[in-house]
Amino acid sequence: MEMKTFEEISEFRWKTINDLVLEHENLNKFHDVIYGYIISAAISRLTLRHGKPPSPFCFFVMGSAGRLEQSIWSDQDHGIAFEDDSKHHLTYFLHLGSEISAGLEQAGYKKCSGDVMASNPLWCKSRAEWQQQVQHWTSTISWESIRHLLILADARPVFGESSLLHLIKENTANSVKSEKLLTRMLENTMHSKKGIGVLGQLLVETHGPFSGCINIKETAILPFVNAARLLSFYCGIESTDTRTRISSVPDSIIAPQEKKYYIENFNALLSFRLAHALQTDYESGHFIRVEHLSKEDKKELKQILKAGKELHDKTSRLIERRIQ
Amino acid sequence: MDTLFLMNSMWVMISGVLVILMIGGFILLETGSTRMKNAGHIAGKTILTFGISSLVFWAVGYGLIFGEGNSIIGFSDFFYSGYEVEGLGLSGSVFFLFQLAFAGISLTIAFGGFAERAKLSVYLIFALLFSIIVYPFVAHWIWGGGWLAEHGKQDFAGSTVVHLTGAMAALAATILLKPRIGKFNKDGSANNIEGHNQVFTALSVLLLWVGWFGFNAGSTVSVDGAFFGFVALNTNLAAAAGTVAALLISWIVVGKADVPMMLNGALAGLVAITASCAFVDTWAAVVIGLVAGILVFYSIRFFESRKIDDPIFALSVHGTAGVWGTLSTGLFATPELATVGEPGLFYGGGLAQLGVQALGVAASGTFAFLVSFIILLVMKTAMNGLRVTEEEEIIGLDLSEHGSYGYPELVNNEAAKSIKNANNTPSPLAVQQSTVN
Repeated sequence: MEMKTFEEISEFRWKTINDLVLEHENLNKFHDVIYGYIISAAISRLTLRHGKPPSPFCFFVMGSAGRLEQSIWSDQDHGIAFEDDSKHHLTYFLHLGSEISAGLEQAGYKKCSGDVMASNPLWCKSRAEWQQQVQHWTSTISWESIRHLLILADARPVFGESSLLHLIKENTANSVKSEKLLTRMLENTMHSKKGIGVLGQLLVETHGPFSGCINIKETAILPFVNAARLLSFYCGIESTDTRTRISSVPDSIIAPQEKKYYIENFNALLSFRLAHALQTDYESGHFIRVEHLSKEDKKELKQILKAGKELHDKTSRLIERRIQ
Repeated sequence: MDTLFLMNSMWVMISGVLVILMIGGFILLETGSTRMKNAGHIAGKTILTFGISSLVFWAVGYGLIFGEGNSIIGFSDFFYSGYEVEGLGLSGSVFFLFQLAFAGISLTIAFGGFAERAKLSVYLIFALLFSIIVYPFVAHWIWGGGWLAEHGKQDFAGSTVVHLTGAMAALAATILLKPRIGKFNKDGSANNIEGHNQVFTALSVLLLWVGWFGFNAGSTVSVDGAFFGFVALNTNLAAAAGTVAALLISWIVVGKADVPMMLNGALAGLVAITASCAFVDTWAAVVIGLVAGILVFYSIRFFESRKIDDPIFALSVHGTAGVWGTLSTGLFATPELATVGEPGLFYGGGLAQLGVQALGVAASGTFAFLVSFIILLVMKTAMNGLRVTEEEEIIGLDLSEHGSYGYPELVNNEAAKSIKNANNTPSPLAVQQSTVN
């Protein structure tokens, strides 16, 4: 299928996506397909004005896209690494980043509020500069540099030379083995919103447009995601998706039965979100209206929340113990 | 002059000063719980309306409450000139000042329901009318020898007279004024319009808490037997219990140790014990405070779910807790302490006193609500609306009603931004600024 314009791609996306909503794997493959179309279209547009890409490059996605955990609605988190270090190349790829970002926005992917996008020079660099930047992040250990490293950890190539990203990430993984860095990462991510109250009830928003809804992103998704990401640093795991991260943890650290338990619950969570989240726009996709859930649904959600908290606590203990 | 007379006068004078200082507590409470752009207005109007209330109380309020009359209203002793009152164990002017302070507090509570949207002129006229035809009636009925006093209603320091009356006027106002811009969404869900300063709110609670020793313990209007100490003890216990209960219930139900809720709990405990502080044992004071702390939490949620915008929670803190406090003596009043009325249900008094309390609450609450509602409805027609324009509400009442902000450096920038976002047409603020610069 040949689609030249962002309009055509956007139309195709909206026409097709509803057929996929209840199937998580397909939905994420589909997002990748749309990304592929948008990137190709952006390159074509840029080629007309500025010529072909001047150097091999890799376009990668981060956040939920990087982890293959997108819902119907998703925002943009992406970057570019290119081979040859030159000012002209940087200008070209920043342009490309902006084109892609505009195309994605048109196709319904909200721009990243934190500007983690290939149009931002911080996330669009030559390989050499990326290496320097990672070196800088791992040696500064500030709140900001830790956040950047955590974001980069979920990077996954979707277009171009994936080896470029691979090299950068390998470099990062080697540097993060320092214990001080792991501790800071733990402190940075291990605060999460409570989903279950002391009486065992689901805790919902009390004010705002999502009153009566539980914030499933903060209470359920993030505990799993953050814990699995820390485990991947801890054990040197390359994968970006939460389930593979958990299953790749050596059996000596987490018993196979236990890993299975966490993975099952995370799978259930992804399906639960697809089935129940509001899904009228990007933000509402993080919320589930509790009064619409059946008794069984509520029970299932509580079990998922419990498992997320268990994994979260277990990871904290593992890292704290090693540090001591 | 005998020592007891002097001591009584001295104690009640100190108490009166403490109660007037509570106005300062309300200034901090109301400004801390609302937004910066209205802070100067709220602080200023609170002082102004206390001024109006003082003058009206001197001219007619005192006479309507304590003058010779019938069981509905008094009608003598207007323009009180400082004479001694026969049979009163303390200086007449001290007693007058103490009572004046209570009238001022009730009015200040009422204005909680007006916050952030009523015109300044509405404050002025309602201050006048409330002080003549709302507060004096209820105060006369219960404290001035009126029909509820004859009935044996227990309201030691004014859970009903001061707090419920104020809260009912606040309810009438908030219904007629309608919610502030941005309080409720189209689907009916409520937004949290956060107050601009939790430190103010916390300090206000401490100031009110201390002031309440004047309010309650001072209501002994005598140092005889140093009974004021026991009343103060009960007052402190209830406030403490309300604080803890509200924090716990918020943590249990919504999973948050919510600071404003805890502060409301302290105030609810104080409001509730106001009626019963002289009639109940210490353990009962703790129970009354605990229940008030829990009630205030659910009451705030209830009013919000009914789409009633109560910016500083006056309805729940003073209304709901005021009702509970008044009823509580019908349950907990002990035979030894019930110098007015009968012992409560838990002390073998049966339902009699509880019934008296309930009747008193219903009659006073209904009267205060209806009369306030009618006054405000008439004012609404006569004054072409009670509320400032949308534009004025957005730029803040500091500017629209007084011409300058309480926090000029900060708010000018913020307001300019919100106007720009709200619409692109020239605003009064822009005009104002262009003439200033």
